[in-house]
Amino acid sequence: MELLDQLKEKIKERLPELDVVIGWEQGFDPLHATPLFMRTEEDVDRLVFSPLCVHNLASHLTGLKGKKVGIVVKGCDSRSVVELLQEKLLVREDVTVFGLPCTGVVSLKKIKHALGGLDKVASAEFNGNELKVSAAGAARVLPLNEIAADKCGRCQYHNALLSDVFVGAPVEAAAEDNYADVEAFQAKSPQEQAAYWRDAMQRCLRCYACRNACPMCVCRDHCVAQSREPHWMTQQDTVQEKWFFQMIHALHLAGRCTECGECERACPVGIPLLLLKRKINKEIKELFDYQAGTKIDATPPLLSFKVEEENINERGW
Amino acid sequence: MPKKSKNQEARNPYLPAIGTIIETIQETPTIKTFRVVLDDKDEMERFTFQPGQVGQLSAFGVGEATFVINSSPTRMDYLQFSVMRAGEVTAKLHALSTGDQVGVRAPLGNWFPYEELKGKDIVFIGGGIGMAPLRTLLLYMLDNRKDYGKITLLYGARTPQDMAFQYELPEWLEREDLDATLTIDVEAEGWEHSVGLIPNVLLEMAPSAENCAAITCGPPIMIKFTLQALQKLGFQDDQIITTLEKRMKCGVGICGRCNIGTKYVCVDGPVFTYAQLKTLPNEL
Amino acid sequence: MAAKYLKKENLVSWLQTLAKERLTLVPRREGDAVVFRPFAPGQDIPLDQQATTPPKAAVFPQCEPLLAFKYAKDPENPGKVGVQVKEKLGDTPSVVVGCRPCDARGFLTFDRVYDSDRASDLNYLTRRRNTLFATLACDEPASTCFCNWVGSGPADAEGSDILMVPVEGGFVLEPVTEAGEKLMEQAPLEDAGDKAALAEAVKENAAKALGEAPDLSQAREKLLSLFDNMDFWEGVSAKCISCGACTYLCPTCYCFNITDEQSGAEGVRLRTWDNCMSYLFTMEASGHNPRPTKAHRLKNRVGHKFSYYPDIHDGHIACCGCGRCIKSCPSSVDIRQIVLQAIAASAASE
Repeated sequence: MELLDQLKEKIKERLPELDVVIGWEQGFDPLHATPLFMRTEEDVDRLVFSPLCVHNLASHLTGLKGKKVGIVVKGCDSRSVVELLQEKLLVREDVTVFGLPCTGVVSLKKIKHALGGLDKVASAEFNGNELKVSAAGAARVLPLNEIAADKCGRCQYHNALLSDVFVGAPVEAAAEDNYADVEAFQAKSPQEQAAYWRDAMQRCLRCYACRNACPMCVCRDHCVAQSREPHWMTQQDTVQEKWFFQMIHALHLAGRCTECGECERACPVGIPLLLLKRKINKEIKELFDYQAGTKIDATPPLLSFKVEEENINERGW
Repeated sequence: MPKKSKNQEARNPYLPAIGTIIETIQETPTIKTFRVVLDDKDEMERFTFQPGQVGQLSAFGVGEATFVINSSPTRMDYLQFSVMRAGEVTAKLHALSTGDQVGVRAPLGNWFPYEELKGKDIVFIGGGIGMAPLRTLLLYMLDNRKDYGKITLLYGARTPQDMAFQYELPEWLEREDLDATLTIDVEAEGWEHSVGLIPNVLLEMAPSAENCAAITCGPPIMIKFTLQALQKLGFQDDQIITTLEKRMKCGVGICGRCNIGTKYVCVDGPVFTYAQLKTLPNEL
Repeated sequence: MAAKYLKKENLVSWLQTLAKERLTLVPRREGDAVVFRPFAPGQDIPLDQQATTPPKAAVFPQCEPLLAFKYAKDPENPGKVGVQVKEKLGDTPSVVVGCRPCDARGFLTFDRVYDSDRASDLNYLTRRRNTLFATLACDEPASTCFCNWVGSGPADAEGSDILMVPVEGGFVLEPVTEAGEKLMEQAPLEDAGDKAALAEAVKENAAKALGEAPDLSQAREKLLSLFDNMDFWEGVSAKCISCGACTYLCPTCYCFNITDEQSGAEGVRLRTWDNCMSYLFTMEASGHNPRPTKAHRLKNRVGHKFSYYPDIHDGHIACCGCGRCIKSCPSSVDIRQIVLQAIAASAASE
């Protein structure tokens, strides 16, 4: 049986005991999947799974508190569920995880670059390691490795790390992540780095898609970026304010960010926000040898306290 | 592209007039009243408003908030606003005292249909800070007493200390042409008036609904049960008038946050009959 | 003035001329986005597709000071501190070149609200009167385009001052307003000749490619009749993440916030974009929120555009059909589907 059919069957089995199961369905055009909230068997029939299923559905979990929720997760998505459980932001019994093996999802931005735009896509079809797409009257074949999301190229967790139901055969491969992207960026001069972010932040709309798409950013409705009590930030559209918010966002995610990249994917004006979080995660990895959302019984480093940290030389001056 | 604005001599709707606080009254632990005179003498002389209209008070640096002008247009020595401390702006306003300046954008919104109410009996039912919008109309009617029939006032607060406008309550109680009743939720030492929740006291008072209008304002839970009591007493939906509150910013129907369906509370309200409210979508 | 022809290679010289007298805003590629920025010689001007953001900020900036205030001691009574307040209006003459008909038309939704019998928003109107639009007609619709659903089309000139129709080798420029005609006089133009017929063909083909529009005349009543049906709204809003991307990319979304900022004795009262997707938008000081969930909030967004606004404003829908809210939504929420579902749902319940 195909993986999708197995998944549908498993979801239908568990559906009676659940309020809703979150998966994906086909969206408004052949290249866009969209989150699907399944309550009936007919809903389950609309489920899809392909490299177009880019959304980390765990972002919806904290908004469904008190409900019995099923969720379909890829390897990377499962890390967010694990992290939420670690932080006790979810009740384990309330969540049923349908885990999948994943060989990578696409970056719609890369496809957009390859096609020159996403406005006129007529069809899209995966064939082995290729995407066959026709747009604006022309057909193109794009190798998956050229259009895969950056996170997939360095993926160490292809299979859901946590699942109540695992469907399909686990993927054996695992890449290494040496934070080459962060290293490359840091090789630029401080002036170049500052100029880069100044330019990028210029076009930030303060729409907070980055925040609301983040599975770990749970203050959403009470965010300091908009609050007047406390009144930490102004509503000005200066680079300074926008940067201030991104720093708050990134620092609050230190040791918590599972690098799903939803912040960056959600940004309507394409600001490369994951790079900020990866910089901080790189430090966390070096200091605490910790990766968020990979071990369910681990305590995130910034939620714990040790008098003597192994890798922080506090008294050695 | 519009070449001319619809309001030819358009005044900047966001530009407040500057006024000076000439007197403050600490009404209750959480309510403070401000009497404000506009600094520009001509502007103050020209200033007119209708009972029930609101104004935006500015504490520059913190922001603006909406309050009913609770003085009467028949007494234009000053504009009176009573401010209950709830958020950032009201906290700042509470810190102001006589001589301090505030911004005033007023009048805004609609008003009580005092013309249509002429010749009718009137029952005012106010709870807590909800007495403020009733006060302006009450004073207006008392100053035009012959235009109206029997006027009844029921004003309730949780405790005697929560009762605002104490300086004028004795006069209201004494007046022959006003039937005033005060009530508090539970018995308190030294309290000589009624005890009981507003809707219950109202049922005991049992004002006749005939040729009468009920004007009520107060916290949502009180309004809910007061409406039920009024219905029991035979009041029809169009005989009941209330005022609404919403978060407002611009005050002139533009910024988009105070709508209930097609109606903007800042310009189509705050005064609505219960009959009108029933036609609005359910989003109070 | 009749339609004229502007060769593609003459576009930049025209822009250079315009930029001498007006702030000239054109599409520019920044990272993965195309946004409107002041024209700068030597920079690429991507006109082949709709910009990521509309030129909304040209007339309605993301943030603008409404007032400046200053506390100062009264010279005659140093114990007393007074406050001075000054209004701030922006009146830089501007022109937007290369926006789409939906973009220019978005301001018509603003106009009815920002200049009504009740109030005239001088900050908005001052900019509005000083901003012209040389709009590029669309030759081929995107999958997210639905301007024909809301009473418009790919060559709609309403709200524009010049309509530029793309043809082989350049543009056929049609003057729409007198002000637009004056701008055209500054361009190195040629007689349109047989290009005029080509332009008509481009318009016709684009309109045809959009296909038939569904009948939305029922939407006003149907959306209102669904107001209390929270199952419906929870269903259609389930995947919404309640961010404001849709509203800030929308050419017709006009809501704003007003906040004060003070530093020392001086400060400003700011007007900034705000949106009904935000929890804090309607949050009252008492702690009560009339729109506490994303279902309530999405209901307001859709209801306002397709029901309440048309009800107040002679049937005009507060949506220009640009489709940005669909294509840039992190969850691909599709407002077209919600409106169609609303029409179908209430038909079923009747």
